[in-house]
Amino acid sequence: MEPLFNYLLLSGVLFSIGVYGLVSKRNAVRLLFAVEIVINAANLNFIAFWRYLGEPSAVGQTFVLFTIALAAAEAAVGLSIIISAFRVHQEVDVQELKNLKS
Amino acid sequence: MTGILAGAALLILVAEAVLGEKSRKTLPGYIALAAIIASIGLILITQISPAYSLTASHPVFRNDLIGVFFSIVVLIVSALVAAASIEYVKTIGNSAAYNALLLFTAIGMVLLSFAADLLMIIVAWELMSLPTYMLTGFRKRDPDSTEASVKYFILGAFSSGVLLYALSLVYLLAGSTNIATAVTALQKLAPELNPIAILALALLVAGFGLKMSVVPFHMWIPDAYEGAPPTVAALLSSATKKAAFAVAIRVFIVTLPFLQLEWSAIFAILAVATMTLGNVAALTQRMLPRMLAYSSIAQAGYILVGLAVSPYAQSTPMGLVGVLFHSFTHGVMQAAAFIAVAAVSLRLVKSNLDSYSGLGLRMPVTAFTLTIALLGLAGVPPLNGFWSKLVLFSAAVEAGSTVWWGGWLAVIGILNSAFSLGYYAWVIKRMYLDDPEETGRLKEPMGLTGVLVAAALIIIVTGLYPAPIYEFAKNASAALLSASTAAAPR
Repeated sequence: MEPLFNYLLLSGVLFSIGVYGLVSKRNAVRLLFAVEIVINAANLNFIAFWRYLGEPSAVGQTFVLFTIALAAAEAAVGLSIIISAFRVHQEVDVQELKNLKS
Repeated sequence: MTGILAGAALLILVAEAVLGEKSRKTLPGYIALAAIIASIGLILITQISPAYSLTASHPVFRNDLIGVFFSIVVLIVSALVAAASIEYVKTIGNSAAYNALLLFTAIGMVLLSFAADLLMIIVAWELMSLPTYMLTGFRKRDPDSTEASVKYFILGAFSSGVLLYALSLVYLLAGSTNIATAVTALQKLAPELNPIAILALALLVAGFGLKMSVVPFHMWIPDAYEGAPPTVAALLSSATKKAAFAVAIRVFIVTLPFLQLEWSAIFAILAVATMTLGNVAALTQRMLPRMLAYSSIAQAGYILVGLAVSPYAQSTPMGLVGVLFHSFTHGVMQAAAFIAVAAVSLRLVKSNLDSYSGLGLRMPVTAFTLTIALLGLAGVPPLNGFWSKLVLFSAAVEAGSTVWWGGWLAVIGILNSAFSLGYYAWVIKRMYLDDPEETGRLKEPMGLTGVLVAAALIIIVTGLYPAPIYEFAKNASAALLSASTAAAPR
């Protein structure tokens, strides 16, 4: 079995990629992908920690099944919101969406 | 009670397919309102006579007074929003989907106030958040609404991702997803795992903070509240934010004292930044929804004061009582203010502050209730906002005998409160003293003014007679703290 540290490192890298994507990209669909990467980093964590803790119960696995379903729901809602915004603005670049002045 | 809400939400969707054109517009709103009121009644009955109590405790829920308190707060706000939406939603259309989403959010918030397991927290969190993204973009041909929705969705989804990552780290540290079990595990945490604990704490603050509108994570709030339909903005600022505070209390107050960290000082810094930035930014706004959004950020700062000083309480947990009390008062006041904005937006096209000039003559009931709500938000004495702020700041003064920054926190809070009266009073002055651009009495929307009068009555009555809510908050806080100290020795 790989040591836990490797999994932590991998999920940390995935998390960082997600955060990097969120701060550097402007396309709303890409931002949605970045969020999905963050969620998958957490999923990887849950499975690795569950294995490491060696629990008899399947809490970690159950958690991941729930999160996959939640992430799917989130992607569905997100894409529909992005589509409805695209219909009005003809644009999915979040920097160009600036009707609301800050 | 979540059964009632879920059943009603599904019933509305079925009813839409069955009903005719006319009843389709208003009936879903009445069903939603009835379901929410029935749930409030059910919660109260289970509290008054324990014989009717449905479940003592369940692995993923904790049936305690904190949950009851917050679920009643969020349901009262949801009821106000649902009642106001009956008339408001006629202008948008698609009332069935609107009310079904509103009920799903309400279910999520109620589940979140009772959740005692990390799995339940994340599921309820998403159930609360996902419908609000859609509600924010509900005026789907309006550029502002869709823009607000995209911005809110991206940051909201990111906050869930961060929260999930933080929960996975908590799972590693605690070896369990149950908060009560986690507390015992955290006490014997190996010191070399402390960096992971700090990382988990920072990510938890970021994840919860986005919904709680704590300052470094507040960027989406003004855009979302301005672009969303005002009734939805009322729901976002008064209900979902309170539910986020409920779960933050459960996670932070119960588990953090066992970590060897200076976490309360971090919360104090966040509180100062949140209330100062919120109030300063609110002063310069030209749109009322945007001003209310910044004032809502500032009010979250006041609530954070209570969270920061809660570990230094002496006999009664004043800080925590203040958090609960202010959650209730701020929920009702902010909902009333946004519903007044909804009423005005039905009659006037523009919603910048100039269009509110002379509103006292043109829409007297709306203007008067908005005045009450704004005065309450500013903390003027006979209204309920004064008492909850009094509890929060006196808790900070009391904490000043233990930590040096306690007194300063109270001073900054009171200064901020006085400062905020400036921009609230400015709106009131515009409504009553300034000359309107165009004169003539406007017909006030009856459905909305009824809700506004009800909300104003709640503000005044709980202001004149705040004891029952204070006692309820005190019992709830005591129950939470005794539960967490009972878990401590072992």
